[in-house]
Amino acid sequence: MKKVLSALSALALLVSMTACGTTENGNEGETNNSSSSSSSDKKDDKGGDKEVINLWAFTDEVPGMVEKYMEMNPDFAAKYKVETTIIATTDGAYQPALDSALAAGGKDAPDMYCAEAAFVLKYTQGDAASYAAPYKDLGIDIDKEIADSKIAQYSVDLGTNPNGDVVGLGYQATGGAFIYRRSIAKDVFGSDDPKTVADAIGGGSQSWDKFFEAAEDLKAKGYGIISGDGDLWHAVENSSDKGWIVDGKLTIDSKREAFLDLSKQLKDNGYHNDTQDWQDAWFADMKGEGDKGILGFFGPAWLINYTLGDNCGGKAVGEGTYGDWGVCEPPVGFFWGGTWLMANKDSSKKEAVGKILEWITLDSSETGLQYMWANGTYGEGGTKDSVASGTVMAKSDGAIEFLGGQNMFDVFIPANDYANGKNLTQYDEKINSLWRDQVRQYTSGQKSREDAIKDFKSNVADNLDVTVD
Amino acid sequence: MARKQVKGISYAKYGYLFSIPFIVAFVIFSLYPTLYTATLGFTDCKGLGNNNWHFLSDPFENFKNVLSNNSFITSLKNTVAIWIMNFIPQITIALLLTAWFTSRSNEIKGKGFFKVVFYMPNIITAATVAILFNALFSYPVGPVNDILVSLGLRDAAYQFSVDKSASRIIVAFIQFWTWYGNTMIILISGVLGISPDIYEAAEIDGANGVQTFFKITIPNIKTVLLYNLVTSLVGGLNMYDIPKLYLNGGPDNATLTANVFIYNQAFSGSYMYNKAAAASMIMFVIISICSAILFWIMRDRDEAKIQKEIKAAKKAAKKGV
Amino acid sequence: MSVVKKDAGSRAFLISAYIFCGLLTVLSLIPFVIMIVNATRSTTQIQQHAISLIPGTNFMKNFAVLTSKTFNPWKGFINSLIISVGVTACTVYFSTMTAYAVVAYEWKLKKPFFTLIMCVLMIPATITSIGFYQFMYKIGMTNNFLAIILPAIASPPTVFFMRQYMIPSLPMEILQSARIDGAGEFRIFNQIVLPMMKPAMATQAIFAFVSSWNNLFLPSILLTKNDKYTMPIMVSLLTGDIYKTEYGAIYLGLFLTVLPLLVVYFLLSKYIIAGVALGGLKG
Repeated sequence: MKKVLSALSALALLVSMTACGTTENGNEGETNNSSSSSSSDKKDDKGGDKEVINLWAFTDEVPGMVEKYMEMNPDFAAKYKVETTIIATTDGAYQPALDSALAAGGKDAPDMYCAEAAFVLKYTQGDAASYAAPYKDLGIDIDKEIADSKIAQYSVDLGTNPNGDVVGLGYQATGGAFIYRRSIAKDVFGSDDPKTVADAIGGGSQSWDKFFEAAEDLKAKGYGIISGDGDLWHAVENSSDKGWIVDGKLTIDSKREAFLDLSKQLKDNGYHNDTQDWQDAWFADMKGEGDKGILGFFGPAWLINYTLGDNCGGKAVGEGTYGDWGVCEPPVGFFWGGTWLMANKDSSKKEAVGKILEWITLDSSETGLQYMWANGTYGEGGTKDSVASGTVMAKSDGAIEFLGGQNMFDVFIPANDYANGKNLTQYDEKINSLWRDQVRQYTSGQKSREDAIKDFKSNVADNLDVTVD
Repeated sequence: MARKQVKGISYAKYGYLFSIPFIVAFVIFSLYPTLYTATLGFTDCKGLGNNNWHFLSDPFENFKNVLSNNSFITSLKNTVAIWIMNFIPQITIALLLTAWFTSRSNEIKGKGFFKVVFYMPNIITAATVAILFNALFSYPVGPVNDILVSLGLRDAAYQFSVDKSASRIIVAFIQFWTWYGNTMIILISGVLGISPDIYEAAEIDGANGVQTFFKITIPNIKTVLLYNLVTSLVGGLNMYDIPKLYLNGGPDNATLTANVFIYNQAFSGSYMYNKAAAASMIMFVIISICSAILFWIMRDRDEAKIQKEIKAAKKAAKKGV
Repeated sequence: MSVVKKDAGSRAFLISAYIFCGLLTVLSLIPFVIMIVNATRSTTQIQQHAISLIPGTNFMKNFAVLTSKTFNPWKGFINSLIISVGVTACTVYFSTMTAYAVVAYEWKLKKPFFTLIMCVLMIPATITSIGFYQFMYKIGMTNNFLAIILPAIASPPTVFFMRQYMIPSLPMEILQSARIDGAGEFRIFNQIVLPMMKPAMATQAIFAFVSSWNNLFLPSILLTKNDKYTMPIMVSLLTGDIYKTEYGAIYLGLFLTVLPLLVVYFLLSKYIIAGVALGGLKG
C-alpha cells in the first residue's frame, strides 16, 4: 500500500487551501444555512412520486439557495425534490466528475449545474458548451428579463454561447474596487474621502502611473500601498484587452506583460509587504499587523464580506481595523470571481429548472434571491453583497459599518460596468498559475525577464493544447 | 519418489484456485482500465467527452511528442533527484532503527513506544502535511523564518517557495519523514520472521551486535528488503501527492514530478488523455527496467539453487522410473 | 544468554540513540499537536498565525460550524468505516491467499502470474483512474461502496509483501503434517497459515486501513450522494470554497477524521510493538 495508493488518496482534498496562492478566480462563498438538513431530508426518498432534479455544485451556496426556493414555494416542493451533488472546486475533482456525468447522460445526469469564473467559459463557450441549454428554452423570456433586471453585461457575455444564446448567468456582480484603510489615507493624503483617495491612486485613469506615485508618498511615511503583487494581479488580469488565448494561440497581452515590471517595481522599491495572497502574512495585513501598514486591497464586495471582515481583528467599530475601511474607484476596472448557473439541454425537467434559475439569476423583485442577497436578509449571517441585477442594486442599500457607514454600492455599481468578460479563456486557471510562477521567479531575482517569458511560453506549450510561437 | 510427484500435481490446482479471486478482481478493475489507458496512447483522443477518436497514422506520435517535451524531461530529472534525496536517508535511518530496536545486546527502553510513534506521520493525509509545511515555511512571516531571523542566521526572511533547490529539499524531506516509519516497520517485521535459533547460534559463537546485524539480519531480511526497495522505487517514481499539494509542481517546475506532469496533461485544462497515456506508458517502461535491475541484483540465489536441485531431483526421479 | 556489559561505549551509544529517537518523536507528534490546537482556535487566529502551540477557546464554535455544513461526523464515520474495513479485509485476506498460492504450490503459470502482479504494481496509478472511473460510470457502480471495496481484492503491493514475508518463514513441514492429518487445503490456509501470518497481516492491515481511510480522489468521484460521503470528502467540502475557508472547522474535521485512524492504529500496534516472532514456531 505504499506511495502508489496514497497518491490517489489525497488528491483533491485541500488543494484549494494549499494552492490558494495560485488560484486566481473563483466563486465568492456565503456560508448559508443547512445542507445538513437537506441530507436528512433525503430520508423521505421513498416518497417516489416527486420528480428528481439533479443539482451539481462545488459549494453548498447554490444548493442552499435552491432549498430556500423550495421553502418559499411549497407547490414546487410538492412536485419536485432536489438531489444535490457537491464536489469541491479543485481541478482534481469537480470538473472531471461533472464532465463525465454530463457526457454519460441518463437519469443521474445533472439537470442544473454551477461553474465558477475560473472555468465557466468551458461550460458556456468552450469544450463543454454543447451541454448547456439556452435559457430561452427553459421557458424564460431571456432578453426582456435581462433588460428589466439590468443584469451586468459581463455576466451575460460570459454566459453567452457561440450561437449567441444565453446559457449561463450568475447572481452576483463581482466588479472590483480599491478597498483602503481610512486612517492611513488620512495620514498620507490628508483625507479619507473616497474621492480624494481615488484621485490620489489614479482611480479610473486606466494607468498605473499615479498609483505608483501614491506608493512613493506612502513609502515616505512608512506605509506600503498593497500587501503583495497578487493584489495587483487581479486588477491587471481582468483589465487587459486580450485573453491568454486568441484564435488558439498563446497571446501575452501588453498589460499582462507589464505586470512583470509592475511586480518588480513594487518589490524593488519596497512598496508592499511582499506577501502572497491567501497566506498568513496577507491576512495579517488586513489586521494591520504586517511589517508596515498597508493602504489597501483590490477586490469585489465579497472580499470585504468574507475575507477582510473576518480578518480585520474585530467585530465592531474600534476593534482591530473594523470600521477603518473605505472603498473607491480603482485605477483600472476589473472583476474577480463569480458563480454561473446552467441547465442541461437534455434535462427532462427544463421548466422546473428554469423556474429556479430565473429566481436566482433574473428575479429583481423583493422576493427574488438577489434582493435578499444584496440586503443581507437572505438568512442567518447574511451579509450584503453586490448582485448581478442593476435594478436590485438601485433599490438596495450597501451601507455597512465595516466601511464606516459608506454605501459600498456607490462604488461597486459603476465598477460592475467596467468588468468585461472578453478577456477570459477556458484555460485561465492553469495559465495564470504558470504566469504567476514565472513572475515570482523574475521579481525574486532568480531569472531574467526574457527567460521568465521564454519559460512561461514553453510551460504553456508543454502543458496545454495551445499553439505557442 | 513417484508418489511425491503425483502429490505435486494434485496440489497444483490449489495454486490456480487460490489465485482466482485476485485474477477476477484484477481483470475487472485493473486490467480493463489499464489496457484502455494504454490504447489511448496511440490515438488522438483528447478533449472533453471525445468519443470519436482514431488511431494515429504514426502510432508513436504521442510518445515522440512526450519525449521531446521539456517539462517531461524536467519532471523525470526532478523525480529521480527527489527520490534519491528522500530514499537514501530513509533506508539508512530505517535500517539503523531496525538494528537498534531488534538488537539483542543493546536493549533500548521504550522501543515499543518509538516504533509506534515513528509510523504516525504516515497516518496523516498528504493534504494535511502539505498545509502544515506550507505554514511552517511561509514568507515573509512564518515559524521557520522567525527562527532563522531570531537566531541571527539570516538578516531577513527567506522566500523558500521561490527557491528551486530549497523546494526540492523540502519535498524530499517530507517524503522521507512520512515514509521512514513505514519502511522501518516492514523491516522489523522481516527481522521478527527470522528464527531465533540463528541468533542464539551466533551469540554462542560470540558475535557482537554489529556483526550479527550485518552477517545475520541483513541476509535474512533480503526478501523484505527487496520489497522495500521495489515499492519505494515504484512509489518514488510515481510520487504525486506531496509535490502536487505542497507547491503544485513549482516553483518554476522544480518539484514537477513525472506523475504530476501526467496528471496535468490529462486533467488540468486540455484533457490530453492521449499524451498522458503515452507518458504513463513511458514511465511504466522506465519503472519496469529499474525494478528488473533491482530484482536481478537482489535475486534469491538460494531459491535459484533450490529450483535447480528440484529439477535435478525430478530428473533423477525420471531416471529412477 | 549473554550478559550485556554496561561499559562507557554502550552508555554513549544509548544516550545518542535516545536523543535521536527523541528528536524523531517530536517530529512525529508535532503535526498532531498542531491539529488539535488549531481545532480549538478561530479561523482568524489560524489565518494570522497558522502554527501555534497555545490552544484557543473556539472548539465548540468550530464544531458548530462543522456540523452546520455538509459535515455529519457520525454518517461520515459509518461510511468511512464500512469502506475501510471492507478494503482492509479484502486486501489482507485475499493478498495472503494469493501470496500463499504463489509460495506454497508448484504450478505452471506461477512465475508468469507473479511477474504480472509485479507489472501491475508498476503502473502509474494516476492514469489507470481515467479508465477505471469511466468504466464504473458505464456499469452504474457509482454511489456504491462495492466499487471501492472490491478492487482491493487485487492488491499487488500487499501480495508482494506477503510473498516476501512467507518465503523465508512459512514452515512447509507443518503444512505437510497437517496434510497427513487429512486437513483440506482451504482449511490449512484458514486455520494454520493465516494465524502464522498475523504480524505481517497486522502491518499490512494498518497500511491498508490508513490509505483507504484517507483515500479521497476515487470516493469523491464515485460517491456523489450526500448520504454516501466519507469523512475526507466531508472535510474537502469545507475547503471547496476558498474565499471563505473555515480553517478552525477544517482542522477540527481533519482531527476527527484522523481520530478513528489513531484508535485502529493503536489497537493493531501491539503487533508493531511486540510482533509475534514467526520463526518461534520453528523452535
